[in-house]
Amino acid sequence: MKIGIPRALLYPIYIPLWKTFFEELGHQVVLSGRTSKGILNNGVKTCVDDACLPVKLFHGHVMDLIGKADVILVPRLISIYPGEFICPKFIGLPEMIKNSVSGSPKLLIMNFNARDRLEKGYDGMRQLGRELGASNTNVERALDRARARQAEYESMLESGFSPKSILEKRNARQSPASVKGRIGLIGHPYLVYDDYINMNIVEKLAARGYEAIFPENVPLEDIELACSRYPKKLFWSYGKRLLGGGLTMLEKRKVDGLIILTSFGCGIDAFIDELLLRANQREYRIPQTTITLDEHTGQAGFDTRLEAFIDMMEWRGRYDNNIPAYGTDVYTGKSLV
Amino acid sequence: MTITFPHMGRMYIPVKALFDDLGVKVVVPPPVSKETLEIGTRLAPEMACLPMKINLGNYIQSMEKGADTIVLTGSCGPCRFGYYGVVEKEILKDNGYDADVVILDAPGREPQVLLNRIRKISGNSSWLKIARAFLQASKVVEQVDEFIDILLKKRPRELNKGETDRVQSKFEKEVLICKGSGETLEFIEEYKEKAAQIPERPGVQPLHIGIVGEIYTLIEPYVNLNIENKLGHLGAEVHRGITVTDWVKTHLSLDMIYKRERKKKLKKAENYLSLCIGGHAWETIAETVHYADMGLDGIIQVLPFGCMPEIVAESIIPTISRDKGVPAMTLTVDELTGEAGYMTRLEAFVDLLSQKKGRVYERS
Ligand code: SF4
Ligand code: SF4
Repeated sequence: MKIGIPRALLYPIYIPLWKTFFEELGHQVVLSGRTSKGILNNGVKTCVDDACLPVKLFHGHVMDLIGKADVILVPRLISIYPGEFICPKFIGLPEMIKNSVSGSPKLLIMNFNARDRLEKGYDGMRQLGRELGASNTNVERALDRARARQAEYESMLESGFSPKSILEKRNARQSPASVKGRIGLIGHPYLVYDDYINMNIVEKLAARGYEAIFPENVPLEDIELACSRYPKKLFWSYGKRLLGGGLTMLEKRKVDGLIILTSFGCGIDAFIDELLLRANQREYRIPQTTITLDEHTGQAGFDTRLEAFIDMMEWRGRYDNNIPAYGTDVYTGKSLV
Repeated sequence: MTITFPHMGRMYIPVKALFDDLGVKVVVPPPVSKETLEIGTRLAPEMACLPMKINLGNYIQSMEKGADTIVLTGSCGPCRFGYYGVVEKEILKDNGYDADVVILDAPGREPQVLLNRIRKISGNSSWLKIARAFLQASKVVEQVDEFIDILLKKRPRELNKGETDRVQSKFEKEVLICKGSGETLEFIEEYKEKAAQIPERPGVQPLHIGIVGEIYTLIEPYVNLNIENKLGHLGAEVHRGITVTDWVKTHLSLDMIYKRERKKKLKKAENYLSLCIGGHAWETIAETVHYADMGLDGIIQVLPFGCMPEIVAESIIPTISRDKGVPAMTLTVDELTGEAGYMTRLEAFVDLLSQKKGRVYERS
């Protein structure tokens, strides 16, 4: 059977797990095309207006698979880590697709719920494997292989590779020829690793001599440690990764600047970015900016923002002063004049 | 210690009664107003939930009146509500407001933490006294909702235009004078009586509209631009999916019968959504199905902009509406929502429902 996997949401993180699992069970995996204007437009048209860009894109990617696959995988990632969630929309994703996308082939809904115990999370995959007609032994074997692949992948991510460099077997670490410095790129995987949506930001930074580092490059222990300063456990896995990743980069003086990429209307980021900004302002005072993406974001405006931020960062590096030429505070972006 | 708390509809009535009973000084935040929202919008991140912005405004306005301790409830995800307290604390700290923030979380693994916090905000009253005060407060909660329910029935049927609103605003002005649960309960009783006496036009057959959606938006009239009253004036009897009573029973009480009933209700959502996705989206879907099955004329979903769980519900509701043949509409509110545009949408919806029913509705 041809199983379609939308190249959207947490695809860049979990693709080795999903793909290996289905292939080991004897199925063929087809991916939706890379994000494009067409996919984006379809998503925007089909999805409810109030949703955020990444969820709209997921709709577009599902539509792209119509006619290309026999069934389409819609992961329901309720919880990927005990006691945590990702985002309410991830839990309701299959319902959103079911009710908004018409004419799709059967949806293969794969639950992942590790809320109580990590191991239990894989039960959803086991069940799906059996529904697809595989024996228990085969399911276990496929799952073992898939998890081994995934573990390998995650450790490569931690050691500084980006999903693109691993998945497309580019051996270079996408570093610029001569490195002037590093910039932390804080954002959900579906923004920082989707070059169409993030306007190729990684290359643009490289062109100015900066290497991007991602939250996935920060080990989980450091993330936990960094977040322990808050009186209450953060219960959003990616929220925690973004915040803890950013704080760790600041704490270890790993970066010359932080760029937060966020989608308009993202409920999780609204809180996470606020906490990161406040901590930075109080303790580290490293230049930071937030770039908000939505379906109307234009290339030109985006580039201007990015250039201005880098200029300001370099200006500050030279004069070691907090007030840049533009008259805005480097930490808050609020106007000083 | 002078306590304050965030506004949520008429929740202030039982909360004030509770602290009065405990002998703890309490400041009821001034009613939510444009100014409240302005303070919140200035302090909170732009994309924060609307309810959180209003909460922040409430705290600041209460602190100006002498409050020094803020009490709020929390939860453990998946939605943002559970992290309001932490973010609010940081914002207050950076803006130089020095308040003690006490978060009452569901007692997970460490019930002692919750108990200590309750003890603290109760001015170290005895457990017996605390238990009695909570019990009384929950009675107040129910009574207030019963009073409001009478008004919802009266508004489309009232003989003298505006009388229902007058009773309500008088009630809201005077209820704060009551001290403690005893006086408050008596006062509500008296007003329930007054409400029941409001004369009706004979033979009125109002439209029936159910409102569902994000709980805070449903409960706080300022945020939903007083949708209950507006619909009432357009000649509709409003049915509320979730009330303060429901919220209290779901989150704060051990009422097992209610919890069983709630489960039964959620089962109605089965064909459309069968798990909790955060916030009250599951309830939203269950209520929508319930209202459709009850034969209501229309359903309106309200949510604050960017509300994650309700966005999921929003994509399901059109299917229910189609399946069951009941018109449904979604209203998203934010700090910029204007009175005029909102009213137009409500009127258009009511017109649609009346046409569907084959009659011209009468506006009161
Ligand atoms: S985390 Fe944010 S961007 Fe991601 S799905 Fe949820 S609201 Fe959208
Ligand atoms: S349910 Fe909606 S309003 Fe409530 S915390 Fe979640 S996003 Fe905010």
